[in-house]
Amino acid sequence: MILYDFEHERPGSLQDVAARLAELGPTAGILAGGTDLLPNMRLKIRTPATLVSLGAIAAQPPGTDTDGWLRIDALTRLSEIENSDTVRAACPMFARSAHVVGSNQIRQAGTLGGNLCQEIRCLYLNQEHDFQFVAPCYKRGGDCCYPYPKNEKDFCASVFMSDIAPALIALGSDIELVGANASRRMAVEDFYTGVGMTPTVLRADELVGAVMVPPPPPNSGWGYHKSTIRGGLEFAMVVVAARVALGEDGETCADARIVIGAVSEGPSRARGAESALVGAAPTPEAIAAAASAAVAECRFLPHHNFSVEYLKQNAEVYLRRILSEAFGRAKTGPGKGGQDQ
Amino acid sequence: MIEAVKSRSRKRLITLTVNGEEHEIAIRPNAMLVDVVRDQIGLTGTKSGCSSGSCGACTLLIDGRPMLACSTLAVECDGKAIRTVEDLADGERLSPIQEAFLDQGAVQCGFCTPGMLMSVTALIASNPKPSHQEIKKALEGNLCRCTGYNAIFNAVLQATGQDGIKPIMF
Ligand SMILES: Cc1cc2nc3c(=O)[nH]c(=O)nc-3n(C[C@H](O)[C@H](O)[C@H](O)COP(=O)(O)OP(=O)(O)OC[C@H]3O[C@@H](n4cnc5c(N)ncnc54)[C@H](O)[C@@H]3O)c2cc1C
Ligand code: SF4
Ligand code: FES
Ligand code: FES
Repeated sequence: MILYDFEHERPGSLQDVAARLAELGPTAGILAGGTDLLPNMRLKIRTPATLVSLGAIAAQPPGTDTDGWLRIDALTRLSEIENSDTVRAACPMFARSAHVVGSNQIRQAGTLGGNLCQEIRCLYLNQEHDFQFVAPCYKRGGDCCYPYPKNEKDFCASVFMSDIAPALIALGSDIELVGANASRRMAVEDFYTGVGMTPTVLRADELVGAVMVPPPPPNSGWGYHKSTIRGGLEFAMVVVAARVALGEDGETCADARIVIGAVSEGPSRARGAESALVGAAPTPEAIAAAASAAVAECRFLPHHNFSVEYLKQNAEVYLRRILSEAFGRAKTGPGKGGQDQ
Repeated sequence: MIEAVKSRSRKRLITLTVNGEEHEIAIRPNAMLVDVVRDQIGLTGTKSGCSSGSCGACTLLIDGRPMLACSTLAVECDGKAIRTVEDLADGERLSPIQEAFLDQGAVQCGFCTPGMLMSVTALIASNPKPSHQEIKKALEGNLCRCTGYNAIFNAVLQATGQDGIKPIMF
């Protein structure tokens, strides 16, 4: 199928890209690996008049900032993240989350920035519109919503499906946004709005420059799971990610970060469940209670023919498993199962 | 919603080295690599299946990496080296991977085969003795509606001189 006609530019630096975005305004689109954007342009979900390509800019290799945080360039291909010894040693959950995205071909082309800024998904949206539908939905700039006909104007109840964002949030990572005149840095969880129409706080004249992951707290461990039906080349039905730390006694939970993704407009942190775990011994009962509290406090939408009941049950079971794994890794000390991809 | 430009974009010249041969081609930015390789260069071994990144039929190697030609703009490949399925055989002599695909009955309708062969070529280049699990992972983006995959896994095992080939029951 032939794409509509558009212009294409390849500036030589992130600052030049930001400057062009500022000049072109909302008619511009940022092209990274294109694995999300180009199919969406075919389906006219996005119709930028000019693509500003990041293709001429080389990604900086993963490195450590002076404050000890690991810095990953937004232009890094997912295949490089999953195979990077630096990333696998410093934050195996991040490498794991990149490893389960799409297929090898998607990971060879797809970048970290594109993954974190990917368009939300919805059964109506991700198909040829002209063929079956009379009017475009809110997200396409129209005036209705197909799965939720009663939705208010411009309320889009679609699902954000990045496999990587929940892992980065569980790791307490920051994201750097580069603008023409200034850059800003924020926690990855604050990057997401939870609003389907505008899923991130990225402005039209900004782009993602890098992600920074802090060094793990002492005695910490992680757990991550992406639920799918066939286990390959598939978007998630549920993603759960957790990072926990034990206190000096090695017996009580000192810190917990629990994230559920791919079930609503943005990844959500289960803060209630986290604080209930802190100070308690991670017994199977405490873990089960945390899993069920997390599912109760996070927003779930039915998506891709999965009912909310099914998704909740799936999330609860896997939260129990990944929390046990995380506490297990926290107990076994340094290394913490670092290489067990 | 943003309206696409109505005027025709400017054509530009790009250089692609395809299977070792340099081509200078005039294209618009919306030209997809799969269409340039098939229609302008005339190498129709690379197939166009889903056009959306989901089937892997269009897999070819760009600078050695297995990539999807249906989801890659040709203009982004300016100056790059592309390898397609046509480059695997040496004249009439098939490559060991192609021979193994034939021996093991890993080709039925053949539509997925060029993409499969390119994914396997990339896998073996970096991992000469892949395990069953590694083969599966490397081929997760290549769909086959005919063989049921086991014949394909067998072919990769044969091509890499490994045991573990399982008889296929029909
Ligand atoms: C068949 C298929 C399967 C997939 N499976 C998965 C999956 O399992 N899990 C998953 O998470 N994703 C999946 N994806 C989605 C997507 O391919 C990946 O998320 C990929 O990482 C996107 O990266 P990209 O560089 O190709 O992004 P692009 O397509 O280039 O860009 C995606 C969006 O991000 C914007 N963007 C890109 N880079 C930046 C930047 N630096 N700053 C600001 N904005 C930017 C673009 O403008 C665009 O809006 C799949 C896609 C396909 C086609
Ligand atoms: S949920 Fe969003 S994308 Fe899906 S039809 Fe409604 S408005 Fe459109
Ligand atoms: S045609 Fe490219 S992945 Fe299907
Ligand atoms: S042989 Fe027919 S699709 Fe694979």
